[in-house]
Amino acid sequence: MSRWVSTMVWLLVLVAFAALGSITDDERLMTLAIQTFIFAALASSWNVLGGFAGQVSLGHAAFFGLGALITRELWLGEMALPLAIVIALAVTAAVAAAVGLPMLRFRGIYFSVGTLALGVAVWITAGNVWPGISSLPADALREYEFTGPYYVALGVVAVVVAVSMWLKRSKLGLGMMAVREDEEAASATGVSALAYKMIAFVISAVLAALAGAAFAFFSVSYYPQFPFSVVWTFEAITIVFVGGVGTIVGPLVGSVFFVVGRDMLSSTFPEIQVLTFGVLFIVVVLLLPGGFVEAGQRLFKLVSRGGADQKAKTGIRPGEREGKEKT
Amino acid sequence: MTQLVLQSAVSGLLVGGMYGLVALGLALAFGVLKVLNVAHGELVMLGGYAAFLIFTERGIDPLLSMPLVFVVLAFIGVVLYQLLFRFVVRFDIEKRIKNSLLISFGLVLILQAIAVLLFTGDDRSIVTGYSSAAWVVGMVRIPWVRLSGLVVAVIAAVALEWLLTRTTFGHAVRGTAEDWSLASLAGVDVRRVYMIAFAISAGLAGLAGSMVSLGYSVNPTIGLGWTLKALVVIVLAGLGSMRGIVLAGMLLGLIEGLASVWVGGPYRGVVALVVFLVVLSFRPQGLFGRGGAYV
Amino acid sequence: MLKVEHLSVGYDDLQVVWDVSFEVPAGALVAIIGSNGAGKTTTLRAVMNLLPLMGGAITFKDEPIVGTPTHQIVERGLVMIPESRATFASLSVADNLHLGAYTKWARAEKKSAMEGVYEIFPRLAERRTQLAGTLSGGERQMLAIGKALMARPEMLVLDEPSLGLAPMIVEDTFDEIRRIRERGVSVLMVEQHVEMTLELVDYAYVLELGQIVTEGSSRDLMTDSRVREAYLSF
Repeated sequence: MSRWVSTMVWLLVLVAFAALGSITDDERLMTLAIQTFIFAALASSWNVLGGFAGQVSLGHAAFFGLGALITRELWLGEMALPLAIVIALAVTAAVAAAVGLPMLRFRGIYFSVGTLALGVAVWITAGNVWPGISSLPADALREYEFTGPYYVALGVVAVVVAVSMWLKRSKLGLGMMAVREDEEAASATGVSALAYKMIAFVISAVLAALAGAAFAFFSVSYYPQFPFSVVWTFEAITIVFVGGVGTIVGPLVGSVFFVVGRDMLSSTFPEIQVLTFGVLFIVVVLLLPGGFVEAGQRLFKLVSRGGADQKAKTGIRPGEREGKEKT
Repeated sequence: MTQLVLQSAVSGLLVGGMYGLVALGLALAFGVLKVLNVAHGELVMLGGYAAFLIFTERGIDPLLSMPLVFVVLAFIGVVLYQLLFRFVVRFDIEKRIKNSLLISFGLVLILQAIAVLLFTGDDRSIVTGYSSAAWVVGMVRIPWVRLSGLVVAVIAAVALEWLLTRTTFGHAVRGTAEDWSLASLAGVDVRRVYMIAFAISAGLAGLAGSMVSLGYSVNPTIGLGWTLKALVVIVLAGLGSMRGIVLAGMLLGLIEGLASVWVGGPYRGVVALVVFLVVLSFRPQGLFGRGGAYV
Repeated sequence: MLKVEHLSVGYDDLQVVWDVSFEVPAGALVAIIGSNGAGKTTTLRAVMNLLPLMGGAITFKDEPIVGTPTHQIVERGLVMIPESRATFASLSVADNLHLGAYTKWARAEKKSAMEGVYEIFPRLAERRTQLAGTLSGGERQMLAIGKALMARPEMLVLDEPSLGLAPMIVEDTFDEIRRIRERGVSVLMVEQHVEMTLELVDYAYVLELGQIVTEGSSRDLMTDSRVREAYLSF
């Protein structure tokens, strides 16, 4: 697909969703849509660091929570929403830069476990410092409408997707992917692995904070600790992998699947939902690392060629046997 | 004040023994299979439930039912290995770690959900006749049910060390941990070693779980907390000595206990994580690690 | 003893070995010689099933072993000493030898085998509790051979036994290989040191860029003009 055509398609999708926001009155539909947008934004933000740059962060919720916290506090404190969001993003960027530098010196598993530790530490601290529930004041509650949060969330996910797309095609994105594939080889060719990882880290954090801002604006009442919970990280990662890690469309498809799926299963025990997604996640990691996007590509190839003569080449595949000794 | 400090220190050492016990199993799995099973805490949780059920259904004291719990969890370990981790060990080391991290992550969700379905979300604890019994040494109170955790940890560490250094199987395990292809060239059935090591790892988690439900409490969400503590302990200790792991666990518990006197209870959890980051930054090989050791 | 026919091996889509055939008769001392990158190690690893085959047949003692798990191949009597990294650095010398006798039938004779190894390599006896990682290169090679002997192999495969060793040690090593053959063990070795190897072995194959280009008894090869030009210094 040529660039122009695909851009048009994206714009069309955006317009369609924007129209939907004005047309419908169905609260449940709007709630689902907003949740989908927020998850899509959060998942896409994780994808920048985890999918493009290949660094698996398990503490992602810390930035989601931070964005939500700052936005909420400022906005409930009578500040205009756009300003509150800008400040939240700026603070998050600063924090991410400060935290990223020491964290990214760790490689691979140490980075993952380190970010997990950090994320949990932040969650504990948030719960201690802000134990009380955060609720919209009475009059705001009475006047609550879904339209505002809908467009904010839609705007947020549009921005996140746009940034992701730009990043993926830019030299920056290329550098990140080089680091993902083989950090040592990349360094050998003059790519500063740390620099690219840092940039991915900060961008990923800021986008997560943006998603957090949408969450703060949408939610009626919640414990400030909640958006810091590691469950958000889990869910974002599940969505990314199920949808297709490293792709633009993947997190989007994954979040639709996740929110709709969760809703459909909501009549059963919540545990069944978790169980289902847990199993799905494992199946994807083991058998279909490219998620739905890969499944879709393979299906497409199968149908268009009428046969399985071509092995779909994706980035990472489970090896067939013990082989490929790394020297 | 001294009483508070001493008691906190002792309580910390006791819970630290538990940290060490949980870490032993995780270290074994990671050292031998190079697989990071973040669902290890969930296995501890299941062990706790197993001990609890055996106690409430059959009246068997958890200290006595430990061998049974070990076997049950080892069996679960075998099942998990055959269903999941067997496929992960096909990859090279780097991908193994990354994929096992992700997969066990999914396993955390699954096992937690299963636990809630089977046991509900309530806290469970085993209360025996000696549950409130304690040794009083000077100003300090040492509850038996918590001391038992430390004792089991020490015994397990010694037993593991014996297994690894004095038996043929232990040599095979250590060889596999260092270089699996060289081990298979020596005639070692690497897959079988992996499976058994993983089963032992799960069994150890079961033992820890028994002690958790005896001295603390069990509910479906406790898993991740114990896993994180175990990870901190492993980083603190380094690989190469089972004894070192238990010692590092006790050290961590001690630090937490003392810190809580000054920083306050709710921030206890943060202490561990700070320790983790500091050690990783300045002494990544750990305090007791034998340089070049793999398990 | 070992017969390899039309072996093809590759990594992912990169083929490294093409249609290679060779044979090691019982009791023989055979070499595959070639320079770096010729595909020697790849061939050996494929024989031991550490790498998947793209094609070919391999029989050991007239039984096919393609697809047989590595440890079972070892159980049948075919033992390989890999190129470098042939000992467990984190285990002591004694433990390395213990592990060498892991197969069932080797275990029965472990004690006498170990005494035998200590007799042949007294330096190992001196250092038996030392970690293998702290030994010198030559001692590590001795340990690797000792470990292989512990397995009571019927056939021994050596991947570049001279690699990284001082010339005098290489001579000692080659002497030891000769003695091993005299004890009835068939030997296949893969080497870059063409001259010394041809002086040692009965028969050799020349591997270049993944293909056998010529073969013959060592005497024939030493007089072959192509071999002399490409590999020998005169």
